Amino acid sequence: MMLCCLRRGASAGPIAAAWILLCWSVPAGAQTPAMPQMNMDHRGGIQGTVRDERGAAVEGATVTAVNAENGAQFAATTDAQGAYSFAALPPGEYDISIVSAAGVTTFRRTGVEAIVDRTAPLDITMNAATAAEAAEFERQQLVQRIATLEQRITELESGTVLSEPETRVRRIEVFVDPAGAVHDEPVPGAEPTITYQRERVYRRQTISEKIEEALEDAENRSVAVGVDAAMGTQFASRTRGDLEANRRAYALASADLFFTAGIAQNTIFFADIVGLSGSPPDAEIPSLTLLNGYTARLIRQNEINLREAWLRTELFGQRLALTAGRLDLTNYFDQNAFANDETTQFIGDALVNNQMLGLSSNGTGVAAEFDPKNGFRFKFGFQQSNNDATNLSDSLYTLSEAGYTLTPLALPEGTYRVWFRTDNTAQEAISKGVGLSVDQKLTNIVGVFARYGVQETELEPRDNFYSVGIGFQNGLIFSPQDRWGVGYAHIDLASGEKEHLAEGYYNFQLTERLRLSFHLTHVLDRLDTGTRFGYLLPGVRFQAAF
Amino acid sequence: MFKSRRTVLAGGALTVATFLGAVAGPRAQDVKVTDPRSVLMIVNRDSNDIGFMDLKTRKMVGRTFLGNNVNPHMVMMSPDGRYVVTGGTRANKAFVIDTRTLQLIKTIPVDLAPEHLAFSPDGRWYYQGNPDGDSISVIDMQSLTRIKTIPGFVEPLNVTFSPDGAKAYVGNYGAHWVGVIDVRRHELLKKIQVAAVPGVARLDPAKYLGEIKGINIAALSNDGRYLYTADSDLGVVGVIDTRDDRVIETIRVGLEPWRIYMSHDGRYGITANNGDETISIIDTRTNSVAATLEAGPDMTGVNFAGGKAFVISSSSGFVYVYDMGSLRPAGRIRVGVNVQLETATTDAADENIYLAESTNHEVVIINARTHAIERVRNVGLFPWGTHIMDSKDNYCH
Repeated sequence: MMLCCLRRGASAGPIAAAWILLCWSVPAGAQTPAMPQMNMDHRGGIQGTVRDERGAAVEGATVTAVNAENGAQFAATTDAQGAYSFAALPPGEYDISIVSAAGVTTFRRTGVEAIVDRTAPLDITMNAATAAEAAEFERQQLVQRIATLEQRITELESGTVLSEPETRVRRIEVFVDPAGAVHDEPVPGAEPTITYQRERVYRRQTISEKIEEALEDAENRSVAVGVDAAMGTQFASRTRGDLEANRRAYALASADLFFTAGIAQNTIFFADIVGLSGSPPDAEIPSLTLLNGYTARLIRQNEINLREAWLRTELFGQRLALTAGRLDLTNYFDQNAFANDETTQFIGDALVNNQMLGLSSNGTGVAAEFDPKNGFRFKFGFQQSNNDATNLSDSLYTLSEAGYTLTPLALPEGTYRVWFRTDNTAQEAISKGVGLSVDQKLTNIVGVFARYGVQETELEPRDNFYSVGIGFQNGLIFSPQDRWGVGYAHIDLASGEKEHLAEGYYNFQLTERLRLSFHLTHVLDRLDTGTRFGYLLPGVRFQAAF
Repeated sequence: MFKSRRTVLAGGALTVATFLGAVAGPRAQDVKVTDPRSVLMIVNRDSNDIGFMDLKTRKMVGRTFLGNNVNPHMVMMSPDGRYVVTGGTRANKAFVIDTRTLQLIKTIPVDLAPEHLAFSPDGRWYYQGNPDGDSISVIDMQSLTRIKTIPGFVEPLNVTFSPDGAKAYVGNYGAHWVGVIDVRRHELLKKIQVAAVPGVARLDPAKYLGEIKGINIAALSNDGRYLYTADSDLGVVGVIDTRDDRVIETIRVGLEPWRIYMSHDGRYGITANNGDETISIIDTRTNSVAATLEAGPDMTGVNFAGGKAFVISSSSGFVYVYDMGSLRPAGRIRVGVNVQLETATTDAADENIYLAESTNHEVVIINARTHAIERVRNVGLFPWGTHIMDSKDNYCH
């Protein structure tokens, strides 16, 4: 509209300036007056001659005029003098071109204007320069078309989404009045009520997003199955004493099958079925502690055992976790960071568990854990510790623990725990035990651990146990997730029996699911019979968990 | 004649006044935000808009609709407070909003799936990362036009400009290197490998040839000298000296660090390790891990305020709190049950945290001192993130 005003009526001076401003000030949404109706009877023309680079007239050349606005094409052929003429073209801009018999554009000129009632002259000389100019023009057009095509493909790619609107169900609070009417906002007399309602989600998801979501949803609803299989081979070479076992190999295969399922809000079911096959060195070497911790608290070997089966729920803002069922309470207590897992750390039970915990078998029970997430952690649990007992009162094992995680003396984190336990499995007297467990990182690479425990009964004096060691991870290793450690454990029983055990291991993480570790253990024992013996036990452990 | 001339002159004067008014700015009644620092910006993915909440009254000031199925991802205000920009992931466009009027003033085509973005320190350049397009779109904030698309990246997530604005560092989530852009020429200058893939990777094709989780962001130290960048698959933080763009230290942290977040005093960086549900606190003076502490699942962000770190555990509905003085756990804030937490921003005074909670379409305001929470509901559908001008915790996920 502004241009129209200027071309048709504006003259120089202040009035013209006012017009300019007025035109600028018209809002974008204002209506624009219709353009005057074009009189299609009025035509324009373009004419001229076509010559070659030597100046000779070109006869029979087809000159094409293409309307730049609507693509309408017109053609004219040159005569013997090389003359051509478009006598009656609709007014507008035209692209004039000549294409040779071989299909090559030899001339192109854009923006040639056909003006009403006039004939525009356009003499054409075809030479190498005009041919190159025409070729460049066509190249530019091609590039532009490719760019347009790419843009369209881009839009198509991004538009590959599911068109069906998403919905989801939300838990909402509404207000129900005595008449049963539901209100979104509080009204007098209405009671707040929790309900569920579907809502539309105004998002289009891509196919891959939708598939991913569906798979995740299916996984959450299904029972998750996990496997932890290990094969441990140990060789025993006698270093002291005269026990029969010497230079013998032992192998124990273990397979744990885990089942986990979410069954309610913050509530899961878990079951662990384990099968052991083979013979650990403990079958022949009567050490005070198990030289292969895989068999700890498992009564039967070479058959399937139900190690654990429990329900766990979290209460009070998920601060309190309750676990009930068949348990191994030692899994929930004394979780020392450097010496707690026979599958990835030390293999000897003396460096996996505090021997004064005194739990001989898994059983039915409850574990409660209170974790306010401020560094403190409190635990209490009880379980049946004698599977032959006919009631819980006759075999009640209780365990309590308080722990605190802190960063002392500018060191990284460390956790300090103290525990207390009782066990009435032995009918004649209640056994009591108390212990400490510490794991403290010295750097991000090195950490130390220590355990101490003591137990006694009303009839017998105290048994003592301690272990210390050092663990490495994140550094001084071959591969990023490797870890290694060295530990020493000592047990001193009131009966006079003693054991010194030292172990070193290196655990390679080959893949996320496969580990290989090498162990070297030396154990020295003195039994109450006066027998003394010592063994050196190199070992290899393969472990697959998935 | 006289009358006609007077009319023309009056009209001209009116027009001049209107024109000058347009140059000076919008009419008073059109202005919705007078102080760009006074508002919280909220990215609403499903209502396809940017919400604006007054920080003082905690009332919504307005919402700027961007278009159907735009799916905005991250919002940011230009350093001069004049514009608010966002990338529309499903629209493949960048959107520019006038901060004062909250009017959408420009839509700029970019590359595939624009998500995270950054401004150069002088505010001249708006770099829009396009993860699916493997490129960075360069938008000139003077002309509000895209002047270039820088190719050669691999799922570029976040862009960090050097303090002098000469270089920009791009985290490639689909690779294990940081891209260095020469901002003067808008060209990819260098690729910095953060750490080598371990030799045992060949044994683990399921992990290393499956989905790659590389580098999210390169975060600057307070002095601007070093960049800290976590590589998720490799479980490390690389420290890059920006003087020669070379890794000078590699720090092993927990499993699958999502990214690193720098404390406001620059003393610590925290990685949210979703692989083992821990955080690693890195002491930037010694470039070592000062503590590794338990956290929650699916962590999406870390905010700092009141001498504490607030770690958002997206799927659990909790925000885990850590005392940054003692480097010990300091409790856990329960935001809700069966809710999804997104990301948060901290106000400039380091007093409150504004957390987007997408399930109930709300922003949860956490008092950093008392841990009390206040909810602002109906901020828009599926709030994905928040932003405050001059906040030190402006990030996205």
